[in-house]
Amino acid sequence: MLMKGLYALRDPRVLLQDRPGEKHLLLGNEAVARGALEAGVHVVTTYPGTPASEIGDTVSQIADDAGIYMEYSTNEKVAMEVAAGASLSGARALAAMKMVGLNVASDVLVALGYTGVRGGHVVVSADDPDCFSSQDEQDNRYYALLANIPCLEPSNPQEALEMTLSAFEMSEELQLPVILRMVTRVSHTRGIVTFGRIQKMKTGTFVRDPKRLVNVPENARGSHRILLEKMDRAQAISERSVYNKISGTGEFGLVTSGVSYNYCVEALQLIGATARMLKIGVVNPPPTRLILEFLRSIQEVAVVEELEPILENQVRIVAGELDGRIAVHGKKEGFFPRYGELSVRLVAAGLAKILGRSLPFNYEDIVRKTTEAAKITPPRPPMLCPGCPHTASFRAIKAATEGKAIVATDIGCYTLGFQPPLSVGDIFLCMGASAGLAAGFSRFTNDPVLGVVGDSTFLHGSIPGLINAAYNNHKFVYVVLDNMTTAMTGHQPHPGTGTTATGKLTKRILIEDVAKACGIEYVRVVDPFEHKTAVQTIQEALRQEGPSVVVFRRPCVQIKAPAEIWAGSIAESLPTDAQNDKRNLRSHSNGA
Amino acid sequence: MSSRNVDIIVAGVGGQGVILATEILGDAAMRAGLEVIIGEVHGMAQRGGSVTSHVRMGHGIYSPTIVEGSADVILGFEPTETLRALKFANQETTIIMNSKPIVPITVSAGTHKYPPFEEAVKQCKNFTQHVAVLDAFRIAEGVGSSMAVNMVLLGALTATKLLPVEEERLVRGIVEHVPAKFKDMSLKAFEAGKIALSPRQSA
Repeated sequence: MLMKGLYALRDPRVLLQDRPGEKHLLLGNEAVARGALEAGVHVVTTYPGTPASEIGDTVSQIADDAGIYMEYSTNEKVAMEVAAGASLSGARALAAMKMVGLNVASDVLVALGYTGVRGGHVVVSADDPDCFSSQDEQDNRYYALLANIPCLEPSNPQEALEMTLSAFEMSEELQLPVILRMVTRVSHTRGIVTFGRIQKMKTGTFVRDPKRLVNVPENARGSHRILLEKMDRAQAISERSVYNKISGTGEFGLVTSGVSYNYCVEALQLIGATARMLKIGVVNPPPTRLILEFLRSIQEVAVVEELEPILENQVRIVAGELDGRIAVHGKKEGFFPRYGELSVRLVAAGLAKILGRSLPFNYEDIVRKTTEAAKITPPRPPMLCPGCPHTASFRAIKAATEGKAIVATDIGCYTLGFQPPLSVGDIFLCMGASAGLAAGFSRFTNDPVLGVVGDSTFLHGSIPGLINAAYNNHKFVYVVLDNMTTAMTGHQPHPGTGTTATGKLTKRILIEDVAKACGIEYVRVVDPFEHKTAVQTIQEALRQEGPSVVVFRRPCVQIKAPAEIWAGSIAESLPTDAQNDKRNLRSHSNGA
Repeated sequence: MSSRNVDIIVAGVGGQGVILATEILGDAAMRAGLEVIIGEVHGMAQRGGSVTSHVRMGHGIYSPTIVEGSADVILGFEPTETLRALKFANQETTIIMNSKPIVPITVSAGTHKYPPFEEAVKQCKNFTQHVAVLDAFRIAEGVGSSMAVNMVLLGALTATKLLPVEEERLVRGIVEHVPAKFKDMSLKAFEAGKIALSPRQSA
């Protein structure tokens, strides 16, 4: 049974107040939203994804009052493009996404380094070390290196606000997009944040400059050189940035950044050690001259950062200039893990080993006793809510295929359907991959093949895969679980809901229309609660010679869809299609 | 009021209102002039999964997570979630545990067993003797709504006198954070939780 608790009713309009010096307890993501507001941001775009979602969600609630244009874009690539267009028109723009969203948007990011931007363009990448809500724990600082663009990394909500402001300034100064790299433990940490002054919005106009903006090879070659020159200037900014700070004394040095800085401070206290510390806030380009100065002032150094040894490698390169005078410790020797999130304990354990000290607590004893408790503690995985329409859809799929189908599933609440007792879902990779995967499976098996995808994910990433299926005639059933919201990330609207980010009614994009336009001939819309019809429809779809689409439509139990939309959905599709379904079950004609 | 740092683990099930409880705690501490850091869990885990919030208040605090074996209080919204949080306990830790189980899907599906309540208490006492239990669900129902379990537990936490924050600040936090129509009921739940955790209630 799912118990309902009392939820917070916090008024996000508190963020609109222009009262510098006022203190509020904010999530890191809320602090980014406030930072953008203080920077006079004009356009905010996003596609929701944990741990980035609250940035867009917060802005969506204050956008109208603040005069900000905010949209949930169909995917992160589009979000980045819309923000880039705004920036190139002179406005300040912010595109927020979770780290895997930047994979989707990376094509834009790299090209945008070449063209550059005009108004400040900040790209927020919220990384997820330890995979709290993600399929991987990639380190997006690599994107800053790959695209040759600057990257700032805050360690707490206050810095998240300040660095958002600075990222806009840096972006305008260099005419380059700037990545603000958050991690779950900054995005979802609540801390005391002091408000600054809200700047007025700047507007501009688009200025034609084809040599810079039209990336044909002839122009791109020159743009690459300009990009590298800009990064030389970024290097100078990094060397004097207030975000790269040296503190503390001693012959032992620590280089760290972001959330790891917090763990370092407390880990040193825990093992009773002191260190001279270099905290790096501008992680790309790192301040190499400052690092060299820092290394000259100490005898030995440890580099503490989550995930990849990016700063560690930089420090090793710089240390090379000191002819082996200084020992560098880090992930290479195994003092700190290259996976998962760090903690005070993990950093203390690594530092204690390096410094030859003992830990003031017996972790093995804690592990031994918790193992005892764990023996009687049943696991509690997340699950679909009671009454969830996905459960009904999965039951229909199982019944129709007798559990024998190969199912390529996708990203959303329904991913949880892979767990027993439903056990529907044999693979999931990334947003929208289900269509292409199902096509591949269908070529090499005689078992029935299904793709399962949610409504928001379908519109985000499935459409090219579906067109491909029609074009190359791949035989599989693509089941779209349309619960009329983006449920997993907090019930954001999407093009299929008929409402905008700021709650206005708009053109509703029907999935069945899209499927037909993609060239799919067999398209049906069914209420998954009509179990018999649902099963029969899947079975009929499986008998088609090519790809087919079955939309299981019923709103998420957690939302009340605006009445007119749900009514519209019934009027436009359900009854007619239900009637068609009955007809079509007898004749195999394409009646939908 | 104490000036030392206080680390509180709030452990529960997604949907129980853990985040609201920690926000109220955090706001109250901020207004008391303390530094506050709360490490929260959002996203997938909220679909009925385990949720653990780390609430830290005091001075000179940095880490958004509490070190294993160093929590001052574990506020357990559910017995097995309390067990899952025991790695943060030491022999000085105070554990406040709601006795009302929320059965996870692994138990209803028959792959795992839900432990008897006495077993859960025994495991807690393996770490610390300061274990207090209350049926926050029943108490919440008694004041009008089972939804107010989080408010009952906040009241119980206040009764321990371990918070470096005046009770009035928590009350004000409840008034400001809870939707208006639940305000009176929430305050009653808070009061009932406080009364329930008088010393004789210790297990």
